[in-house]
Amino acid sequence: MNASHRAFEPAPPSKQTAPAIEISGLTHVFAGAMQAVSDVSLSVRAGEFASIVGPSGCGKTTILNLLAGLLPLQTGTMTVAGRPPRAGRHDIAYMLARDSLFPWRTALQNAMVGSEFRGVKESEGRARAVEFLKRVGLERFANNYPKALSHGMRQRVALARTFTLKSPVLLMDEPFGALDAQTKLQLEDLLMNLWNDERRTVVFITHDLSEAVTLSDRVIVMSARPGRIVDDVSIPLPRPRSVRALQRDPLYHELYAKVWGRLEVAVGQANIDSEISG
Amino acid sequence: MSALHSARVEKWWIIPTVQLAGFVVVVLLWEWVSVNRIIDPLFIGRPSGIARYLKTAIMDGSIPVETAWTVGSTLAAFGLGSIAGIAFGLLFAVYPIAEKILEPLFSGLNSLPRVALAPLFLLWFGLGVASKIALGFSLTFFIVLANTVAGARSVDRDFLILSETLGASKAVVFFKVMLPSAIPTIFSGLKLGLIYALLGVIAGEIIASQHGLGQLLTFLAGTFDTNGVFGVLLVLGLTGIILTKAMTELEKRLLRWR
Repeated sequence: MNASHRAFEPAPPSKQTAPAIEISGLTHVFAGAMQAVSDVSLSVRAGEFASIVGPSGCGKTTILNLLAGLLPLQTGTMTVAGRPPRAGRHDIAYMLARDSLFPWRTALQNAMVGSEFRGVKESEGRARAVEFLKRVGLERFANNYPKALSHGMRQRVALARTFTLKSPVLLMDEPFGALDAQTKLQLEDLLMNLWNDERRTVVFITHDLSEAVTLSDRVIVMSARPGRIVDDVSIPLPRPRSVRALQRDPLYHELYAKVWGRLEVAVGQANIDSEISG
Repeated sequence: MSALHSARVEKWWIIPTVQLAGFVVVVLLWEWVSVNRIIDPLFIGRPSGIARYLKTAIMDGSIPVETAWTVGSTLAAFGLGSIAGIAFGLLFAVYPIAEKILEPLFSGLNSLPRVALAPLFLLWFGLGVASKIALGFSLTFFIVLANTVAGARSVDRDFLILSETLGASKAVVFFKVMLPSAIPTIFSGLKLGLIYALLGVIAGEIIASQHGLGQLLTFLAGTFDTNGVFGVLLVLGLTGIILTKAMTELEKRLLRWR
């Protein structure tokens, strides 16, 4: 088992065009016959940053949890790097909406959790954690416990913990959803910088349209429950991007309006008003 | 000025001064009531008499020696009870089936007023410390057990999801996620368990013993030495406070991250 994990560990996102994630005919029904996802087909290239947006309850998190192997696949096929998803695969890293830092560990020890739990050598895990803690601007807080960190700082540690892993595929479930607007913009910039260096494959779940357009190469728009893909909008904004600069870019606003329009059509105005704030 | 601010300017010595003044007033009133026989001193003793008793009993060594017996038995009961309680608690958390099997037995024993077991423990373990330790153990065990199970079950679901996506082994999840998550709750169980260990030991000593503060208390009450009874109660109260403080201190050191 372990040997097969290791074979996937170093895989750099070299072939930019190879599909990292393939989903076809995916339908998922929860107990009580509530259909969460209906006939979703989707392909994400290696090194691509793809966001999935849609109203709450549209099944976007369900898709992510299926990709992470946290839920059993029901109908359809799904592969990540050519193999069916399974929780604990070393080539997949998952980031949750809440920081989920262990309160009994310092920032540095939390950043090391991933490599430690995956059995990476302690010295190597520590070195990477130190490096990424520095990248997220928290080297001075390495020995602080989470209780002494702000929400934004805690989510920075969670970012460091995720990027410390060498997994070529990152699954992110609304990682900035709980942050205030200002902090959110800072962390979006930070994520773009981190991602830009290595260009790992990212599937990013959000209900914030501006966040999706800012970060992504592609924005996949889903309808209200049962979630179907309504549109797949490519975002040809040049990189590297910055949140502030994008605000003055007419193309950004054009793309934002386009995504918004697609969502409007799919969901209906009433639902948009109540469920989308972006 | 805001309410927050005015609450802060209160001088540090005000509360201790009021407390001390209150204490002095109560003691003087007690002495006065007793001296003037408004209430028979046989029932309420007399502060000056209590002080005299304590002085003699401390000098002749009886209070220190009996306190040592009681504290020693309490620590033994607490140590054994909490080790067993934590062990079973973790077993239940990891193997819920074990809890299902043992549940009727344990909830039955836990519902039983434990002091009712004292005659049986005396029969089994004799008049010495063993029967007192057994009684203290029977109280501490269930309290620590319940807290350990509750603590281990209260693990944040996100922590488990994170561990699962990282491919953590069962052992890693247990030692690095479940156990540290449970420790604060286990600690509140330990603090309570210590007080209950003392309770069990004292009850055992009162029922039948050759040593300990409980035995001393029964002896003094039997000879109508009310001052002595109050003196021993004072020592017992202080003992309880010191034990609790020690646990709180230990908790602060071990759980600095809270």
